[in-house]
Formats: sequence, C-alpha cells, structure tokens
Amino acid sequence: MFSLGRVPGVAFVLVALFGLFASTSGNFFTAANVSNILVQSSILLLLALPMTFIIMTEGLDLSAGAVLTLCSVVLAAVTLGTGSLTVAFLAALAIGVAFGLLNGWIIAWPGIPPFVATLGTLGIAQGLCLVITDGQSIVGMPPSLQSVYSGTLAGIPIPIIMAGVAYAVMHGILYHTRLGTYVSALGGNREALRHAGINDRLVLAVIYGIGGLMSGVAALLLTSRISSAHPTAAIGMEFDAIAAVAVGGTQFERGEGWLLGTLLGVIAIGVLRNGLNLLGTSSSVQVICVGLLVIFALFLDGLRSAER
Amino acid sequence: MKVLCGAYVADEGELFHGGKKIEIRSTLDARNFGIAVIFQEFSLVPYLTVAQNIYLGREFPGRVPGTINRSKIRQEAKRVLGTIGSDIDVDTPLHKLGVAQQQIVEIAKALSQDARILVMDEPTSALSDSETEHLFDMMRRLKASGVAIVYISHRMAEVFLLGDRITILRDGKKVATVLPHETSPSDLVQKMVGRKVDTIHRRGAGIKIGGVALEVKNLNAQSGIADINLQVRSGEIVGLCGLVGSGRTEVARAIFGADKVSSGEVLFFGETFSGGPDKATRAGVALIPESRKSQGLALIRSVGDNIVLAGLEKLFPSRMFNPARARMLAGSVIQKLRIATPSPRRAVQVLSGGNQQKVVVGKWLTAEAKLFIFDEPTRGIDVGAKAEIFALMYDLVEKGGAILMISSELSEIVNVCDRAYVMREGHIAGELQRERLTEENILQLGMHHE
Amino acid sequence: MSTMIETKETAPRFGLSLSSDFTNMLLRLLAVAIICIMLTFATDAFLTTNNLLNVLRQASLVFFMASGLTLVILTGKIDLSIGATVGLCACVAAVVIKTTGSPWIGAAVAVSIGGAVGLANGLMVTQLRIPSFIATYGMLWVAQGVTYYFMGGQSVYGFPAGFRALGSGYFLGIPIPIYLMIIVLLIGSFFINRTTFGQQIYAMGANTTAARLSGIPVNSRLNLVFMLSGAMAGMASLIFLARLNSAEGDVGESLTLPTIAAVVIGGTSLFGGVGSLSGTFIGGLILTLILNGMNLLSLNANWQPFVTGVIVLLAVWLDMKTRSKTDAGN
Repeated sequence: MFSLGRVPGVAFVLVALFGLFASTSGNFFTAANVSNILVQSSILLLLALPMTFIIMTEGLDLSAGAVLTLCSVVLAAVTLGTGSLTVAFLAALAIGVAFGLLNGWIIAWPGIPPFVATLGTLGIAQGLCLVITDGQSIVGMPPSLQSVYSGTLAGIPIPIIMAGVAYAVMHGILYHTRLGTYVSALGGNREALRHAGINDRLVLAVIYGIGGLMSGVAALLLTSRISSAHPTAAIGMEFDAIAAVAVGGTQFERGEGWLLGTLLGVIAIGVLRNGLNLLGTSSSVQVICVGLLVIFALFLDGLRSAER
Repeated sequence: MKVLCGAYVADEGELFHGGKKIEIRSTLDARNFGIAVIFQEFSLVPYLTVAQNIYLGREFPGRVPGTINRSKIRQEAKRVLGTIGSDIDVDTPLHKLGVAQQQIVEIAKALSQDARILVMDEPTSALSDSETEHLFDMMRRLKASGVAIVYISHRMAEVFLLGDRITILRDGKKVATVLPHETSPSDLVQKMVGRKVDTIHRRGAGIKIGGVALEVKNLNAQSGIADINLQVRSGEIVGLCGLVGSGRTEVARAIFGADKVSSGEVLFFGETFSGGPDKATRAGVALIPESRKSQGLALIRSVGDNIVLAGLEKLFPSRMFNPARARMLAGSVIQKLRIATPSPRRAVQVLSGGNQQKVVVGKWLTAEAKLFIFDEPTRGIDVGAKAEIFALMYDLVEKGGAILMISSELSEIVNVCDRAYVMREGHIAGELQRERLTEENILQLGMHHE
Repeated sequence: MSTMIETKETAPRFGLSLSSDFTNMLLRLLAVAIICIMLTFATDAFLTTNNLLNVLRQASLVFFMASGLTLVILTGKIDLSIGATVGLCACVAAVVIKTTGSPWIGAAVAVSIGGAVGLANGLMVTQLRIPSFIATYGMLWVAQGVTYYFMGGQSVYGFPAGFRALGSGYFLGIPIPIYLMIIVLLIGSFFINRTTFGQQIYAMGANTTAARLSGIPVNSRLNLVFMLSGAMAGMASLIFLARLNSAEGDVGESLTLPTIAAVVIGGTSLFGGVGSLSGTFIGGLILTLILNGMNLLSLNANWQPFVTGVIVLLAVWLDMKTRSKTDAGN
C-alpha cells in the first residue's frame, strides 16, 4: 500500500512542474495540450506499470524499450504480411510475453543479476529489430491501425482508455491477487515467501512475463502513433519508465511500491518533456533533466531511508 | 527447535504426538502436526500489512477466480489477534510496528495455522517490561485454550514465573527436568554449569602487566550498548562475557570503529580514537570477528593473500606490492602459527575451521597489531585446534600484546582470562577479578535480575 | 592435528587458486585458437595480415574501454555509464582539439571529464549509498544527454595528422593502437598485481565486509576505482576519435554492451574478486574475432547486437555456474 509521507513528494514535483511551465509558456495550460500530454503518456504508463512490480522485487528491466520496439516491428510486419490487425496484435503480444518470460527465467533460475540479464536481452531484441527491418522503417499501415491512437471512444481518446484499463488491471493484480501480495514479499523478504511454501522463482518469472505482455500491448499504440515501425522507435524508453517509477516513490530495495505514484511519475515526466518541448529545448536536454530528476529522487530516497 | 519445525531432520530418537509416534521431515509436516516455532528473526514482509503477513501463502480466494478475498483475510486476522487479546490494526504496514508488536504478529501467524504446540525462542529479549507483561497475558490465554508452549529463555525470573515444568539443556544434552517449586535459581545455575573434562589448563598468574592498551569510557552506541567502561592492559587477557544478545559483539565493533559510536571515548595506548576500522588497524588494533567466513576472510582468495591483507599498508608503505616478499612473510606466519595448508596459494576456503581461524589471526600479525579483540575465537573448531589458538593467544600477550576476548564458552573464559567483564542487556553488569572468576559467578551476574 | 581439506567432493574449483586462474586463461586462449582455425577454414579473407592486424586493432579499442571497467567489476560493482562517458569525452575533446588546434589540451580535457564522471559515480555509490547499477544507469543518460546537447546535432571532423596517427597510424607495420594497448595492459597489470591497491581491490570484490574489517578504506578505494574507470574511458575516447576522425553525438551509444561483454568473457566475475586485465583483453579479442568472422562471412551486420547479447548471457551464466560451487562471503 502507499504511505502518506510520500504523497507530498511526487505531487509536489508535479505541481511545481505545472506551475513552472504554465508561467513560462502560453501554450502549456490549454485543454488541448493537457489532453496531449495524457495521450502521449499512455505508452509510457504501459511500460512503467510492470516496471513498478519489477523494481519492487529489487530488479530492473533494461530491455523494455527494445522489446517494445521489437513488438512494434513484428506488429507492422505481420500486418503487412497477413493483412489482419488482429493476428498481428496477437503476434506482438506473443513476442512480448516470450521475451518477458525469457528475462524472468534467466533471472529467477540461474540467478543472473537483472541488470546484466536484461542488458543481454536488450541486445538480442535490438538485434532482431535490425535484422527484421534491415534498418529501415516499415510503412504502409492500414488506416484502421492509425485510428487506434487518434480515435476516441465516447469522447475519450483510446490511448487513455487503454492506459486506464491497464492501470485498473495492474491495480487489481497488486491488491487483489496472491501474485500481487507476493511482489512485495520478493523484494522485502524472499525467505518468508519460501517458508510459506510459495515457489518464489515462478512468481518472479511471471512478473517479468507481465512486463513483456505490456510491451506487446504498448506496441499497438506505438505503431499506431507513428503509423509505421522503426527499429529504434522506443529504444531508451525504459529509462523514462524507470525514472517514472523512481520519481513516483517506489523504492529500489525493500519491496515497497506505489502504483499511483508511478502514474503521477509518468505524468510528471510527460509534463516535463512537454513543457521543455514548448520551450524549444532539444530532446538531449530533456534527457538530462529526466536523469537529474531521477538522481534527485534517489537522493531523497537515500535521505529518507537514512532516517529510518 | 530446528528439528521440531522441520528445518533439520533428526538422526536418532523418537517423536510422539498425541501418544502416537510421528516423523517430522519438512516444514509442512511440522505444520500438519500443529507445531509452530517463533524464532528470533521474524519471517515477515516489511511492506505488507499485518493481515497480509499473517495469511501469506494461505490467502482466501475471492469470488472472481484468481482474486483473493481481502475482507475475509482482514476479518480472520482480526479474529486471530483477538484470541490473544491484541488490538493491533490489521491494516498497518508491518514496518511501522515495533519489535514487540511484530512478535505478536508472528504468534498470530502461527495460531492462524491452528498451531497447538508453540515453541518460542527468547521472545522477551527485545521487549520492554510492559510489553513482556502483555506477552505473558497472551500466553496464559493460549494456555487456557489448550495450546502447549515450549518457552526457551535464560531469564530466571520468567522461567520460574511461567513454567509448569523446566528442562535444562547443556552441550546438546538434557540435564534434568524439574518442577519450579522443587528448585531454585541458583540450583538451576549449578545444573547449567556442570563439570567439563577439558584439556585447557588454567593459565598461571603473574605475567608481567604493562600499560593500558585499551580504555573505554562511558561508551554508548546505537547498536544498543550503554555506559560501557572497561580497560585492558598489555600482557592481559581480559574476558568479555554474557549471554547471547547481551551486546558483547556490539561493544567489540564499536571499539574497532565498525559501528558508529553515539557518545563516550575509546583510547588506544593512551590516545583518543575516532574513525573507522582502517584507522583502528593503523593504530595497531585487531578484530577477529565472530563469523570468520563471512566477516574475517576473503574465502576465494589464497591463504597468502589473506594473511597479508591487513598489513598491506604497514608492509608496503610505498604502496608497491612485492609478491615475493609477501609470499615470504606469509610463509613465515604459516610456519609460526603452524597453519596446515598444502601451499600458501590454496584458497582459504579449503582449510578446516581451525586453520581458517589461524589465518585470521595471522592476518593481524602482519599488521603488527598490539591490541587484539577476539570474538568467539574457538567457535566451530575442534579440541586440538582450540588448544593451539589459546597457545597462540598466550604467546601474543607474553610478547606484550593485549587481548579482549569474547566467548560464550564459560570454561574458556575461566581458564584463559586474567579477569572478565560480564555483560547483561547492553550494560556491564560487573567485573570479576581472578579469584572470583568462576562459571557460577559469570552466570549469576549475566542472568539474574536483582 | 586438524585435517587440511574437508572432503575431496566438496573441494571447490577455486581451491586451486592460482592454477585455476591459469587454467581459465588457457581455456580462453584455446577458444581464441579454435575460433581462428574455424574462421581460416570458413573464409580465405581471414588469415591475411591486413585482416589480422585489423582484428587486433579493433580488440585494442575495446580493451581500452574495458580496462577501467574491469577494475570496477573486480570490486563487485558495475559501471553502466562507460559507453556514454566515452561518447561524451570524445565529443568534447573533438571540439576542443578543433578550436585550440592542440591534441594535448584535448587529451587532458577528455581524461579530466572522464575522471569527473567516474568520481560522480563513485560518490553516488559511497556517499549516497545508491546501488551502482542504478547510479551509473542514471549517469549514462545524463552523460548521453549532455553529449547530444553539446554537439547540437553537428558533427566534428578533420583532426591534425599527428593525432590521427594514434588511431589509424602504423609503426613498424603494426597499427599504433596495438602498441598503446600493450602499454595500457602492462601498466594496468602492474597496478593490479604490484600495488597494494590491487590487492585491496581483489579483497573488496571477494568479501567487502571482511575487507573493511581488515582495515581497507573501502569507500576511498571505490571512489578511486570509479574515477579510474572514467579516466580510462576518457583515454579510450581519444583513440576512438583518432580512428574515426570524426565525432557525433551518438558515438557512445552502442558501446556499453560490447565493453561489458569483453570483461565478462575474459573471466572477470560480475560478483567481484576474480579476474584480470589480460583476461579482459582476451575477452575483447574473442568478441572481436566472432564479429569479424560474421563480417567476413557477409552475415548481416544487424545480427551483431543479437550475438553480443547472447554471448554476454552465456558468459555470465558460465561465471555463475563456477561461482556457485564456492561460498564467498559477499
């Protein structure tokens, strides 16, 4: 569950960013722009939600961006090949789950440290992207695909609906299933879980599998957004996801996590990037800012845990 | 304890449950027989709630397949806590509870598994007086409802207060089972001490004593020690004893700089010391830690590498490492301490416990240490090697070194030390000079509540 | 008298401390030989002087980056920012060399920036107590961002000939980077084997707690090691610059994985306490040979990240299997 002591943290950051950009750029605080931010943040939220679980288990998934890109490439390729968006979507999901379970397997059983394991699968996924696309974009997506990202349902943009559903599902898993209970145990006291007779390795593998699944879902939005698939489309997005989780207050050790915090963290990063965009700053500066934000958040973490 | 909860399997002997002979081969077996053990280290998850912790692994399924029934879990948790008279809010995250309350959660967890036999290991060591009272109330309630409790403790007052029957163990064997009204605390102490046939002869008195090597004044540390005052002079072996958990290792670590000191002074050879282990080492102080494998040795490194480790800065002040010279030095230490190893290049890991311990001591010889703090020097070492370690220690002090020795083996303290400080619950309960240094006296000081 | 060895069955591989290192090195040299033999049969283009020198030159470049990283990994930590640091130093040095015309100033700047990044990493780990993989991961992105911002989308090219020789020149028929690599290998090995720092670093990796309780100033050494890693990245960037004769924002992006691969393949354990610089060189050589072979066999270059990823995982897995037989108290 969440601790009240953390609400001020990320909410404060969010409010501060909002205030900063609203005052420095006239275009910021418009209904259209705010809606824009939310829509654009939907893909990141899909990555950041399972990343929250993973970080709660004291792990990390550096391959998330590469796997997302791969799923997007597969989605596009299969759409062109079979003409069926449904089949393509299923293929993307399958690839995502496969990579997720691969990550989970090598982390849970031989015990390879997550940062190296997912670094390796990052290379594998990225390699496959390049091989399949030969470095080129895959274009020629049917309009039905495009309408996913730009379409609305009952007036609400579809990406926001998908993000909302994903949030609801993850929330349900975390607070209403045994798996969700065990996520915190994996990070806080793995021994306790073993004593209780639970197969902790299986739980860990499933958690990474969920991460892969979400990458597959996000691939639909990504491909729809750029109406194509590019082999480096989402490379590096895991950084924003990790940053969102860190800023949102989830700890890297001890098994404490806050899903709502991740949501706020995602919005905060969305706001940061959007605001910086409107101010005309380059994406490289944006990356620096996000990085500094993470280091700042971790520093605060360090202070808080020193107090305990 | 470990056999009862299924962690170890018994080699010999029999277990009877409800009059029937049983076997316990796993934690599941133990659970099925209704046996629950509450260890000193809790098996709880910090960021889950009390209710979630109690039912970890045994969550009630909800109506939608795959979900859990949170309200039922909370309800049941409340009910179980109620049976032991506790009103802890089941929605509190565990890390927000103090040790006493966490212990109550552990007990509730055991009870929720329908435990009829509860084994508790030193449950009051971390509790205050009022929390202890609370715990005892709870235990009386359980007893009234038919639960059998095995209460492991060294606290005489509690044992006599709570026990219907008292069993005394010593060196892995049962000494006696008595009824409280047929015995007394000092009687129990005597039974605990016993006579041991050992080959360690009492060290003779009259060794030349030099200046004060270690002086500790009013030392307090966050690790739980308070008002520590002690002194060790060159040529002396001073014991630091007391029961497990009384704070002896904490004192050693605070002196060595491994733990933070909140107040008080530590002086090495007359000079005030403040800083970490690297400074202590430079000042000529050595710590032979409790757990040699995880704290004293780099197991995958060779014997030679480990031996020169602490002395690197002293041996090679120019920072240029000379492998040949290091090998020579290691070789002479190996010879001097008679460390049995096929070659100094073997990894320390393959050595026996006694030889590993000698390597740890040897490490400090190359560092030219003059003040040694030994924490359980003979733990896990066979009799022959023990004698050698003591011979080593005698040699060190004869050459002018000073030793502070922590040990749980009372006979060792009595035979080896010139005098000893006895600790109890983070304080020094008293000092015993040579004439009064007996096992009974140590236990009396270490155990009794006056 | 107590027994010396517990039982034959439980005596772990690491029981043969130095001879085990030797065996490992031998195995890797054997791997190199096997790969060379296979490639010789697979294609005529392999066993030419030109190609072999090229391979060695490439391996040298990898080695420069991996040398500092080896030290960090020996202490049981990791530096994920190494690739980005190389990129940053290369770009800044490039601009400095172009504007001042002096490679020496450029070199000094590169090494200083690298060292500063390394020190920042070290401080995050020792003072802020952030796990090294997170701290250096954050630093990776900061460094990359700064690099892109600094370059502003431009590229810099055209360096003085003397400087270019560092990367592309020959001396006595052998590419200069190889000489530099030998120098770094010798100096680095000297540092690891013949200074007290080296002994302390190995001990810290084997058991940080025991090292600390043996009087080793662990925090101070960690800062040193991270700083060296950064400084070496700075030096590596110069060679890169000289070789490529240009610098763009994305120079460092794809360097992290191969660098870690070289270290792990070379036998340095990610858990610390085991490894050597010569091992890292051989690891880099093995990786380079494999990628070179792929090139010569006209395999799509796009397969390279894939292959590197698989190799890293295999190497780490092997490391874990051998390590699981020991019981280092880390």
